[in-house]
Amino acid sequence: MLFAPKTFLTIIVCSLYGLFVGSIPGLSATLAASLLVPFTFFMDPLAALVAIVTMSAMAIFAGDIPAALIRIPGTPSSAAYTQDSFALTQQGKAELVLGADIIFSAIGGLMGAIVLMTSAPLLAEVAMKFSTFEYFWLAALGLSATVMVSASSQAKGAISMCLGLFLSTIGVDITLGYPRFTFGSVDLLNGVSFIPAMIGVFGISEVMRNVSERQMDFAITKVKTRGIFAGVGKLIKKYQWNMWRSGAIGTIIGVLPGAGADIAAWIAYAASKRASKEKELYGKGSIEAIVDSGTANNACLAGDWVPALVFGIPGDSITAVVIGVIFMKGLRPGPMIFEQHPEIIYGVYFAFILANLLMVPFGWLAVKVSSQMLRVPKNVLIPVILMFAITGAFAINNDVFDIITLGVMGIVGYFMERNDYPVAPIVLGLVLGPILEQNFMTSMIKSDWNLILFFTRPISALLGICTVAMWGFPFLMAFLEKAGVRESGLKK
Amino acid sequence: MGKNDYIGGGIFTALGVLIWALTWHFPVLMEAGGRHPGPSLFPRVLGTLFIFFSLIVILEGWRKSKTPPPPAAEDEGGNVIIIGEKNYFNAVLVIILMAAFIALAGYLGFIITGGAVLFILMWKLHVKLLKSLIISAVVICFIYSVFAKILRVPLPHGFLWW
Repeated sequence: MLFAPKTFLTIIVCSLYGLFVGSIPGLSATLAASLLVPFTFFMDPLAALVAIVTMSAMAIFAGDIPAALIRIPGTPSSAAYTQDSFALTQQGKAELVLGADIIFSAIGGLMGAIVLMTSAPLLAEVAMKFSTFEYFWLAALGLSATVMVSASSQAKGAISMCLGLFLSTIGVDITLGYPRFTFGSVDLLNGVSFIPAMIGVFGISEVMRNVSERQMDFAITKVKTRGIFAGVGKLIKKYQWNMWRSGAIGTIIGVLPGAGADIAAWIAYAASKRASKEKELYGKGSIEAIVDSGTANNACLAGDWVPALVFGIPGDSITAVVIGVIFMKGLRPGPMIFEQHPEIIYGVYFAFILANLLMVPFGWLAVKVSSQMLRVPKNVLIPVILMFAITGAFAINNDVFDIITLGVMGIVGYFMERNDYPVAPIVLGLVLGPILEQNFMTSMIKSDWNLILFFTRPISALLGICTVAMWGFPFLMAFLEKAGVRESGLKK
Repeated sequence: MGKNDYIGGGIFTALGVLIWALTWHFPVLMEAGGRHPGPSLFPRVLGTLFIFFSLIVILEGWRKSKTPPPPAAEDEGGNVIIIGEKNYFNAVLVIILMAAFIALAGYLGFIITGGAVLFILMWKLHVKLLKSLIISAVVICFIYSVFAKILRVPLPHGFLWW
């Protein structure tokens, strides 16, 4: 089915799309996914998911190209090793850097795909035992993890998450069918439409941010592609252990709900520096850093799909989009999708493998035309993105109200980002809000409003303790910090 | 940034209070022989969390205002480096154009309204007039072909039936 002409063509087109968007600084893989969603509306479920898999795999790798050539990461997942990549380019090693990026991204992606293929069915067996209690705690754990990994203040991350959850309450409530926060509007009775909201938060806010910036002309280093893979074989031999370690780090981070490729890259970078014998090179041109972080961020992508497919809990913002697409196709993520629609699951597995194999020739092509891609004028590109976003949002329900949602969420996303509020938790809150509330209310009703039952089932108890421990972690850290300061003050 | 934290914290605190006010008269769930919060439970929990975390943000903003700002970056000649100025009008223009599209697309049609949005934004972003016109025309026809002809989305058509 993957090699059916239509699906294969989708893979090729989405790969090129992902490479293009990923290599343009200011455009993220999540933006690319959100703009792709209106098109997936018209595809069959397998083609829709395969499109997003190949697009995201290529986009995450392609962010390495401008990182190396102009010291600006194309996507946040390349930020960890931008300094090292650019420093090596300035030392005349651009071909080695980009060749390493291509090969180690592909290797990391394949590692993640293997973990996805082996662990997802096993976890699906465990998930069959889940009831509403477990699903409630899992959703709460995913949302909590998202807040904990916020780059800025955790309080701001929590506010963003609450905003997403609040938006999910708009419409008819699940217990009594009572309209909440609709203010008499018929359009709001169906709630806030997820896809226009997501395109608004990620896409329109990005458009607004880009048009506010002063225009940048890039000084681009031209790269010869002939020798691009020379020396990579030696790197694979020398950094074998790094590869396995970073593949594991990336996949584990991916499996954790809420943590994405950018976090995987930073953690892998930190682990690499700690274990390296050449620590002094980090930040000044360490190829080892690039090997580790490049492997981890692509390995993370497949890992993100594990909680998304098995539990319906997004691993990152791209899989939050994917879950929206799965629901849009009339499917429901969870263990039953493995039994009822195995063709889709196997299709996703092989799409990951195919995308990472295609990354080598397509990556080579992207590097070859990199200087042309980076010359695409932003003042033409951004209005085109705006028009695609407007048309795509309209196309979901053929409703002008969705364009209003797009605009409002764009404004909200813009102002929140300007004030250091992360916007990804808004989308995660929108996706997980109904799951959280529905499972909580169902659990409460069937337990006759007895909260103790949330901790009596073994898996539910474990998840509940992990979630509560995560809530208490910042306070514990603050307390330990103050105790440490007081102690050092007393010692003086 | 401290001042912005006060404003942001204030807005979300107000949102939390507003949620409580709006849910005051929501119906209750009669279950297990008692009255239980129904539709109001989840929003009220969120309202409380908004207030709690907003106060933390305000506190963080107050702490930041107490610490001196870092020294401005300087170049080799000792001159302060000014980060590129921002053009906020362009961001507002994006919203104005979207509002205009919503208001006018039903009357003028997708092609004319969409083409106008593209043209005005490109021209405002310093793309030359003729280039803006040509690119807008080509792109809007491409988008129309993809969505209306291939994907069969019923895009708004105006008095010219475009």
